[in-house]
Amino acid sequence: MSPDNLDIQNSLDKDLIASVTDLKVYFESKQGMVHSVDGVSFDIVDGEMMGLVGETGCGKSVTARTFMQLVQSPPGVLAGGNIKFRSKNIKNGSQVIDLLDLSENQIRELRGERIAMIFQDPGKALNPGLTIRTQVAEVFQEHRENDVLEKAGLKNKLSGVTEYFVKKYIKQEAGFLVTTLFKIPPLSTYKKKIDSGINRLVAEALEETQIPNPTKVMERYPHELSGGMKQRVMIAQAIACNPDLLIADEPTTALDVTVQARVLDLIKELQKRHKTSVLYISHDLSLVRRICDRIAVMYAGQIVETGDAETIFNQPKHPYTQGLINALPSMSHERGKLEAIEGIVPELIEPEPGCRFVSRCMRRKANCEEIDPKLKPISEVNKSHKVACLLYEA
Amino acid sequence: MQIRDYIIRRLMILPILIIGTSIIVFALTRIGGSPIGIYLSHEMSPAEVQEMKERFHLDKPVPVQYFYWIKGVSQGDLGWSGVASAPVVDVFPKKFAATMELAIAAGIVAVSLGIAMGTFAGARRNKISDHIIRVVSVSGASMPLFWFAILLLIIFWVWLGWFPIGRSDPNLFEAIPHPTGFYTIDALLAGNFSAFRDAIWHLILPAVALGYGATAIIARMMRSSLIEELQEDYVDAAKAKGLAERVVLKKHARRNALVPTVTVIGLTFGFLLQGTVVAEIIFRWPGLGRWMASAVLRGDQATIMTYVMFTSILFLFVNLVVDIIYAYLDRRVVLGD
Repeated sequence: MSPDNLDIQNSLDKDLIASVTDLKVYFESKQGMVHSVDGVSFDIVDGEMMGLVGETGCGKSVTARTFMQLVQSPPGVLAGGNIKFRSKNIKNGSQVIDLLDLSENQIRELRGERIAMIFQDPGKALNPGLTIRTQVAEVFQEHRENDVLEKAGLKNKLSGVTEYFVKKYIKQEAGFLVTTLFKIPPLSTYKKKIDSGINRLVAEALEETQIPNPTKVMERYPHELSGGMKQRVMIAQAIACNPDLLIADEPTTALDVTVQARVLDLIKELQKRHKTSVLYISHDLSLVRRICDRIAVMYAGQIVETGDAETIFNQPKHPYTQGLINALPSMSHERGKLEAIEGIVPELIEPEPGCRFVSRCMRRKANCEEIDPKLKPISEVNKSHKVACLLYEA
Repeated sequence: MQIRDYIIRRLMILPILIIGTSIIVFALTRIGGSPIGIYLSHEMSPAEVQEMKERFHLDKPVPVQYFYWIKGVSQGDLGWSGVASAPVVDVFPKKFAATMELAIAAGIVAVSLGIAMGTFAGARRNKISDHIIRVVSVSGASMPLFWFAILLLIIFWVWLGWFPIGRSDPNLFEAIPHPTGFYTIDALLAGNFSAFRDAIWHLILPAVALGYGATAIIARMMRSSLIEELQEDYVDAAKAKGLAERVVLKKHARRNALVPTVTVIGLTFGFLLQGTVVAEIIFRWPGLGRWMASAVLRGDQATIMTYVMFTSILFLFVNLVVDIIYAYLDRRVVLGD
């Protein structure tokens, strides 16, 4: 690692858990490079809930997936930037790393362990062919083999070769032969103990998300559970290792409205109890306002405005944010009429310089089509409120 | 509903399907004309011919003949094979075992190679190995069996002399009891290793020739359904848990990719049975297929009906097994009414 890199790594502010700087993720297509995420920067304060808001296709999910290196490549291309992350590993103390520099094996150690993710549609994010138990168990098997051994009553009771193979078996690293051997005596006694150990861990994890009857639920297949239940299972799986950062990618979008509220409350409650930082991604501004401490508004691959939730809501500065808030239906609106932002999202293939919002902007100025606006604080009082718009540039 | 209930329900439909099949088989065979020809000779007088007709109930209306046939079948009388000059029931089991041994060997080749190749190619989409497998499988699906079989015969038997043709040496197998009729299994049961090796050696060439087309189809299906599964959210979710690529592929994606593939495997089995006719003739394999071919040419209807009936029932059973595997792989199947 170059000294230059080290310098970047040490510069993460004390109160931050993660910081994204000038992130650029492009996708190759036949028409050209699609600039899905184009110079995104934002911070996540330790222990806070950060909302990332934007309409479909604005790059918010891609941004989230980049945290875990889950963007498929090809066609995905990481064109620049970095994501600094404070990993609060108990053994080594806290440590700042660049998530995009990690090798496949290094990022795998963090996935599900320090950074976890909840997906939009729990019906699709759970494997239809495996029981809930099998799927939740994998998190423990991958990252908590010592906990499994302890619950199985096997801790410090094994030695040498047996310990080696039992651990391999738990971590699903054993080959076909060893796995088969564990199904027949004498090794099957270990398998039984391991299974019951895993069962207890899984039941505890499910209980954490208020799933009734966890021992019964875990024997079920995903299609036998309701959408809300499935999302609870996903959440249980995500927080099983008590991660530092939880990425929630529209976790309530696929759910019924009544279930939405309960799942939201659950996430909020778990976040408070475990002091987890959350990156909450949504297209629903009013929902994000309800639960998030700070908000970043994204448009066409860029952050246009960021600040604390109340400021964004009460004093939106960017024309796009203003438009979004105007578009929210409220009690004072005339019946049957909804405000909308005119026009459509621009193509992101090899975009022209200038503000991305210019074609839809009601307040555009002459040079908006030429100059890229930079995300900057606009008032001396509230430095955390930043806007990318030429209207506020001196 | 439990898987057990599902199996019972499927089994209950089976007799109805078998009765339906028997009607169709009988009707289609009789369309070819009266089967009397094979039982007659030039020396017979009209009175003798009439006597033969009465003996085989061929003077009765066709629907009544059907019931005579069913009655015979239920009593273990499958009719007289003119080609084999013996009752069908005496010749059938031995030849059936020979054909099954070949078809199952080809099936094992096709399923194991097809799934392995498909998984390999699907996981390495658009890489060199994917392209190579594509070439291999497209040629497998498009080459006619008779041509490919003759090609193998010329190369490996005529030129290189690596593999023999025909079934194993009869001298070797005379001393061994034949509880199953499968030479490989009989040799293993008798503990005769050299006979087993010989049986396998004879099996390889026809099994590969017969299995190649099915391998190709299974590999193509497996590849495309694996690619589809790898796009699913649950694959990303599994990766987000920190699982190794290998576990994500084998435990998560492959299992679901097998669901559509298993259906294709069931259908390919019919394809294999049909192929045995060609493969047996080319490799001089003493099975049903060869017998059947001469039976068709000489209008030996008792043989034809037995053959078609048995292969249909076999096909029904294979597809029953496939449906059970299907329900095991995808539990949502069991739910439906």
